[in-house]
Amino acid sequence: MSDVVYRKPVQYNDAVVKKFVIATMFWGVVAFLVGVVIASQLAWPSLNLGLSFTNFGRLRPVHTSGAIFAFGGSALFGTSFYIVQRTCRARLFGGEAMANFIFWGYQFFIVMAALSYVMGYSQGQEYAEPEWHLDLWLTVVWVCYGIVFIGTVMMREEPHIYVANWFFMAFILTIAVLHLGNNLAMPVSLFTAKSYNVASGVQNAMIQWWYGHNAVGFFLTAGFLGMMYYFIPKASGRPVYSYRISIVHFWSLVFMYIWAGPHHLHWTALPDWTQTLGMAFSIMLWMPSWGGMINGIMTLSGAWDKLRTDPGLRFSVTAVGFYGMATFEGPVMSIRDVNALSHYTDWGIGHVHSGALGWVAFITFGALYYLIPVLWKREGLYSTKLASWHFWIATLGIVFYITSMWVAGIMQGLMWRAYDAFGFLQYSFSESVNAVHPYYVIRMLGGVLFLSGMLIMVYNMIMTVRSPSTARRAAVPADIAMAGV
Amino acid sequence: MEVETSDVIVGVMMLIFGLVGLTLASGAADDEMYVFGLSLVGFAAIFGGGLIKRHFDKVEARLRGEHHHV
Amino acid sequence: MFIRHETIEKNAFLMLILTLLVISIGGIVEVIPLFTIETTVEHVTGVRPYTPLESRGRDIYVREGCYTCHSQMIRALRDEVERYGHYSIAAESMYDHPFQWGSKRIGPDLARVGGKYSNDWHYAHLINAQSVVPESLMPHYAFLADTRLDLDDLTKRLKAQRAVGVPYTDEQIANAQADARTQTDTNADQKALLKRYPKAVAVGTGGTITEMDALIAYLQVLGTMVDFADPANENLRQ
Repeated sequence: MSDVVYRKPVQYNDAVVKKFVIATMFWGVVAFLVGVVIASQLAWPSLNLGLSFTNFGRLRPVHTSGAIFAFGGSALFGTSFYIVQRTCRARLFGGEAMANFIFWGYQFFIVMAALSYVMGYSQGQEYAEPEWHLDLWLTVVWVCYGIVFIGTVMMREEPHIYVANWFFMAFILTIAVLHLGNNLAMPVSLFTAKSYNVASGVQNAMIQWWYGHNAVGFFLTAGFLGMMYYFIPKASGRPVYSYRISIVHFWSLVFMYIWAGPHHLHWTALPDWTQTLGMAFSIMLWMPSWGGMINGIMTLSGAWDKLRTDPGLRFSVTAVGFYGMATFEGPVMSIRDVNALSHYTDWGIGHVHSGALGWVAFITFGALYYLIPVLWKREGLYSTKLASWHFWIATLGIVFYITSMWVAGIMQGLMWRAYDAFGFLQYSFSESVNAVHPYYVIRMLGGVLFLSGMLIMVYNMIMTVRSPSTARRAAVPADIAMAGV
Repeated sequence: MEVETSDVIVGVMMLIFGLVGLTLASGAADDEMYVFGLSLVGFAAIFGGGLIKRHFDKVEARLRGEHHHV
Repeated sequence: MFIRHETIEKNAFLMLILTLLVISIGGIVEVIPLFTIETTVEHVTGVRPYTPLESRGRDIYVREGCYTCHSQMIRALRDEVERYGHYSIAAESMYDHPFQWGSKRIGPDLARVGGKYSNDWHYAHLINAQSVVPESLMPHYAFLADTRLDLDDLTKRLKAQRAVGVPYTDEQIANAQADARTQTDTNADQKALLKRYPKAVAVGTGGTITEMDALIAYLQVLGTMVDFADPANENLRQ
């Protein structure tokens, strides 16, 4: 009789998003705290305590994995599940049990990995430290994640796949490829955690930095760009600045990033041709990166006034600014002659943190300030003033961190290559260690500031969740309310 | 009430993980594998228990809901 | 033919396939040739698999995360060659599973630390680095000297490495336990060990074999295998 189809409103699975949001904040505190601890150990080595499980070498992977995989990973899972459901107008594919498994399975991975590091089990490759059995476990969780995410995209009611989802899909797919490629290893036995990587020496180095740099490119960039493409338009109430830039940005970024790995291996035993390729693509990467930055920032045209009132948006936009800065610094450092000075020094550490704190953490904070009142159905934040405090304390922390590391790094680089009037090396290595001590203290203080900002946010969020709900006023049918939990 | 497909798949996965965990823990040649194996068993048991609990919670909630209507 | 982007945007499967294609190219071009181009790893004499004790020492080096502060890669730069020795060549780490080139020098490079200091110096330095180098930031590794080295799965460990390409011979694997004991006793006859593994450095004086012994044996062989003064190695083919 009639073509009108009655559509039930889609009941999103926000329960799993809430869990990931809480996990993001928890792991943020843990990762930043361990960061402060190991930064203090570098300033005052007696803090290593001389115990096997408290030494820098075992705690450093706890910090890096904690920041990248626990904090960043939880943020990516949570926001991607939130975004994909809304932009596809479809409930999360695979049912509640699968979503719950992804959450708890991933948390299990994080806890077991951290535990294995302090117990002394490591593959000895940066950002790929978990041993083979944990890698297999992560593979299981990741495959489930892929099925749920891509399944939701397939079930979408919208004809187009939204740009944020392009980035999330590329992130999920590429991380799977990298994870499998870099972690191929031969265990001593089926019942032994220790394994030996299948590749060795120069090939192992190339595969490791193919993995390592694209953990940056796809985990810490593509995934978080997905966040940028959703939360900045959403919070500012403006459409994405340019559809055309989005397309060029996406395809050029995913194509070029993969090539950039060899810039971690300049002047080493890696063949020159590979180094040159890596350098060339790293420099070219500047363009798509800034294309993305422009697309993110220009989205605010006509809504710049919102930066005054919306601290979440302020975080997001500053994040894009730091992204632009770090993606300019990166290509500069990938030039072979700059790298001769910067590599092996603290400049690299500073560069990583301008990306990790300025871009990754700030875009996450922006998303969290937006998400928490929405998810828990609250009027707004408990305190925008506290959010502002968080913003300025964290920004100051980043400034302390990266400026001190620039000075320390360039100083190390120059001291190591300095010659005296007689043509001898002017400084011993230990003199360079002494010289950077004050900057290590400043870096530690920068970390304390960043951690303090995080704690302010956690307090603000707890108070927001405890404030009265707006949902109670509206009568919610029982089955809908239940499906949301 | 029928059982959701997702619950069944995840339930079977837990069964497999639990058995793998038991095997690893019983044959473990080092501390890490022992701890991992046992933790995996714990994970599978708790998660599997959660699946069952949530299923019956839903059944009960639905029954209560029907009583209201009657 | 020009494909409208709309087509890709409306087809998740197509988008995934194209993404997979695009991300595969760079990796294939940069990684595969390193396995196939013969000159990637130089042909030099002297590089050998690690002795059982050195190999266990290397496991401890990986376990303690030494790579988070020390590189093992002397770059081909004048100041690095003067400070640390001949620049590292690919052949020197061809049996390193995993490679430990590192990416940060909180402490100095260790690619050629072998033979630069005595066993006793290493012992004192690992126990308490600041007692030898006051400026050092290094943690104390005294617990290594108190921990007995686990040799139970020694042959399994060597066999696992052989499975991924380290050319351990049957003889080397059969003598693994004995070789580990010989290398930890400077009073023992080193002849058979040195025949199997030239330039191995004996540490300790018998008795309990500790993790410290293994780590020192590993440190003492680092960068010593290739004799750069040997005329046979003069034309390092690359």
